[in-house]
Amino acid sequence: MSRVELKDLRKNFGGLEVIKGVDLTVEPGEFCVFVGPSGCGKSTLLRMISGLEEQSSGTIEIGGRDVTRSEPSERGIAMVFQNYALYPHLSVRENIGFGLSLARTPKDEMRRKVETVAETLQLTDYLERKPKALSGGQRQRVAIGRAIVRDPEVFLFDEPLSNLDAALRSQMRIELTELHERLRATMIYVTHDQVEAMTMADKIVVLNGGRIEQVGTPMELYERPATPFVAGFIGSPRMNLFEGDLAREMGCEVYGIRPEHLEVSETEGRWTGRVRHVERLGADTILHLEVEALGPLLARVDGSRTFNPGQTVHATPNTDKEFRY
Amino acid sequence: MRRKSPYPYWFFLPAGAIFLVLFILPTVASFYFSLTYWDPFEARFAGWDNYVQFFSEPFLVRGLTNTLVFAFLTSGLKTVLGLLLAVLLTSGIFAQGFLRSVVFFPVLVSTIGVGLLFQELMHPTEGAINLALAAVGIDGPGWLTNPSLALISVALVDVWRGVGLATLIYIAGLATIGQEYYEAARIDGATRLQQFWRVTVPLVRPATTTVIILSLIGGLRLFDLIWAMTRGGPGFSSDVLASVIYKQYQAGFWGLSTAGNVILFLMIAFIVAPLAWWLNRRELEA
Amino acid sequence: MTRRGYIIGAISLLVAFVVFVIPFLFVAINAMKTAQDASSLDFSLPERWVFWENLVTTVQTRDYALLLAYWNSIVITVCAIALLVVFGAMVGFVIQRRPSRTSRVVYAFILAGLMIPPAVVPTIWVLQGINLFKTLNGMILIQVAYGLGFTVLLYRAFISTIPRELDEAAIIDGAKPWQIFFRVVLPLLKPVTLTIIVVQSITIFNDFTHPLYYLPGRENITVQLTLYNFQSQFVSQMNLLFMNILLITIPPLLVFIFFNRQIVAGMTSGAVKG
Ligand SMILES: Nc1ncnc2c1ncn2[C@@H]1O[C@H](COP(=O)(O)OP(=O)(O)OP(=O)(O)O)[C@@H](O)[C@H]1O
Ligand SMILES: [Mg+2]
Repeated sequence: MSRVELKDLRKNFGGLEVIKGVDLTVEPGEFCVFVGPSGCGKSTLLRMISGLEEQSSGTIEIGGRDVTRSEPSERGIAMVFQNYALYPHLSVRENIGFGLSLARTPKDEMRRKVETVAETLQLTDYLERKPKALSGGQRQRVAIGRAIVRDPEVFLFDEPLSNLDAALRSQMRIELTELHERLRATMIYVTHDQVEAMTMADKIVVLNGGRIEQVGTPMELYERPATPFVAGFIGSPRMNLFEGDLAREMGCEVYGIRPEHLEVSETEGRWTGRVRHVERLGADTILHLEVEALGPLLARVDGSRTFNPGQTVHATPNTDKEFRY
Repeated sequence: MRRKSPYPYWFFLPAGAIFLVLFILPTVASFYFSLTYWDPFEARFAGWDNYVQFFSEPFLVRGLTNTLVFAFLTSGLKTVLGLLLAVLLTSGIFAQGFLRSVVFFPVLVSTIGVGLLFQELMHPTEGAINLALAAVGIDGPGWLTNPSLALISVALVDVWRGVGLATLIYIAGLATIGQEYYEAARIDGATRLQQFWRVTVPLVRPATTTVIILSLIGGLRLFDLIWAMTRGGPGFSSDVLASVIYKQYQAGFWGLSTAGNVILFLMIAFIVAPLAWWLNRRELEA
Repeated sequence: MTRRGYIIGAISLLVAFVVFVIPFLFVAINAMKTAQDASSLDFSLPERWVFWENLVTTVQTRDYALLLAYWNSIVITVCAIALLVVFGAMVGFVIQRRPSRTSRVVYAFILAGLMIPPAVVPTIWVLQGINLFKTLNGMILIQVAYGLGFTVLLYRAFISTIPRELDEAAIIDGAKPWQIFFRVVLPLLKPVTLTIIVVQSITIFNDFTHPLYYLPGRENITVQLTLYNFQSQFVSQMNLLFMNILLITIPPLLVFIFFNRQIVAGMTSGAVKG
């Protein structure tokens, strides 16, 4: 359990600055999630923490120790890769024990540690198999086992669930959260799936174009997004954001209202529009409206109400939940 | 201070040391030694004498022209025959797999063995080839004894030995051409011959480039087959650069031999490199 | 298969038989004749089958020179390939994983080695300078130097298909560079290593030119040179010459039968895109 501190961390690839000065503290035992659109530098940032990528400038401290110049293996970290990165020629046992065997751990101790880890991950029956003979979820667990057995101060995950199907993904989300509760280790987790971010994180870091846009708990980001970018990025379906006349009328540059904070009525309301498309999710229904002078507008309504394309409806924002930037 | 790369350059060291000492160093040294009178005892500076000799002594000039004739002849034949054989051996005929093996096998056999075998088969009076020709009433030539034919005979044997490799490369190339091109051509009413010229030939270009370049380099450098079959004879009529290099080395004219080596180097550099560049460019345009 | 396919196939078989198979039959048949019988060089069957006698005589010629040659050739081939595989894979690995100016220069030099003919006399001069001329060790190193281009080319291409994440996982597990290479990457190179072993062993075993230059001397004889050296002696004993050809063709034949697939893969590696 250790604190991770990044100070003015930067990274250039050739002449291109990809990470443009990141300052961040991840508290001991925290589950911290990096989110952001593709190419914003999440992986690069994580790989700099791991030491796989060398920073151009800035410092990294893990557990109060400056590891900026340390080898990856000396940083007290473990990493789980998107494609698992299991050694194909080694059995599950050898995969999990690989780091121990490099460190010349005595055979007995190695065996004990590997088997303990395998048990917690329900891999005991598969120890002698090669990765080829495992399912996606099992492979993922082996990758996690390989990380746990190192007993690291910090776990790093780079989109570990993106190769799994939806059902397995939600199961693994729960397993990872439980794992975090049991180990109480610091975890840094990269994803571009905001459901993962919202459900698993103690702290979310929103990255955009190599900069930190906002840091906060999931509910802070949802309730008080600091910038229009965060407002648009956190929450599903995404927040309605308007510039131009409406924003000026509201006395701001960007005006935002979440779809779930619009009151939709057949008879009256602030804005009048036509239903273009109806997305039924069951419990909720998402309406795609076309509002005169505003353009497209998303609204979330109760699933029990019926709307038809072409119908004219009225929408009114909940004034407590408006955002002005 | 940079951290160490996980891919250190010292991994180049063992291979690099061997390569540098036994390949690069001699190659560089050859430029110097080709400018000397060099024998087992001493090396005296000679200026361009060795090169002048190479381009003036008829038997050495013969070696140069023979090298070119041999390389282009074998390369051309291997390319054409290789493509035809590859088309034949991918057309789904009877015993196709066996035939591929049969055509390819000579590639793996000892060149010296092949050379000696054909030396016997091509014997002017007792050789099996001329006996067979005589049986149908043809008076076979002195394949290896006729000075104007010896080089061609060796070239034919080289094609016999090497066409299997060209075929193999073409078969791999043909396998990458999608069936849909042929189907489209058939729908457009193309005959088999038209399909060959309009679809196969342009689309196997990468394989053609490989075959031409490989066989040209092989042809320019060829030594063992010539040596086994004719030792450059009769006279100097089938000498090529590689056999001249060996003969001059044996005779103790190390400087002259090395000049031959440099000429061979330059020939390959100035023929093969531009050709490879040109063929690759045409490939991109196609 | 169509009727047409059968007919063309049958014709092709006949032609292939005459052009490619008969010469080998010629070798085999003559290797089993008596010296007198074989001297006529024709295509008749042996009057007397003397396979075993010819074999024994050929092996015994010049104090069992053929056995010595086999031993030398095998030593050279095995050692050269062992070095080629390890050293070549190391080079291919760093060139592929670390794209830098240095890597590109090294790669360019090694590929140039595929084209440039070795400068033979200066090589002898170098070998003499380091006391490796006329030694098996020198010959082994020469074969390594000459085989490096092909080996590195194949390894580099194959290593590009191995995900880098595996190296990174090993780095995080605390592997040193040589551990990444020997414990993670090298074991994954098995298929291409087999191809390289098969193709290079045939190349080195069949090499005539380089032992001729760099490895003179009776005690250094290699398989291909037995033919050359016995040629004068065998003028009146064609049967033994052919037996000798037969005996040195057997190893490549066996390799061809068992490793056809690897040979094809190796030989065509440059075909589709060089
Ligand atoms: N080795 C490299 N060389 C040059 N540019 C790179 C390199 N690695 C990453 N980049 C660039 O850096 C930027 C950030 O990449 P990074 O992989 O960190 O994005 P990401 O946020 O992880 O995206 P994704 O969600 O798609 O994984 C991208 O624009 C990428 O093109
Ligand atoms: Mg990424």
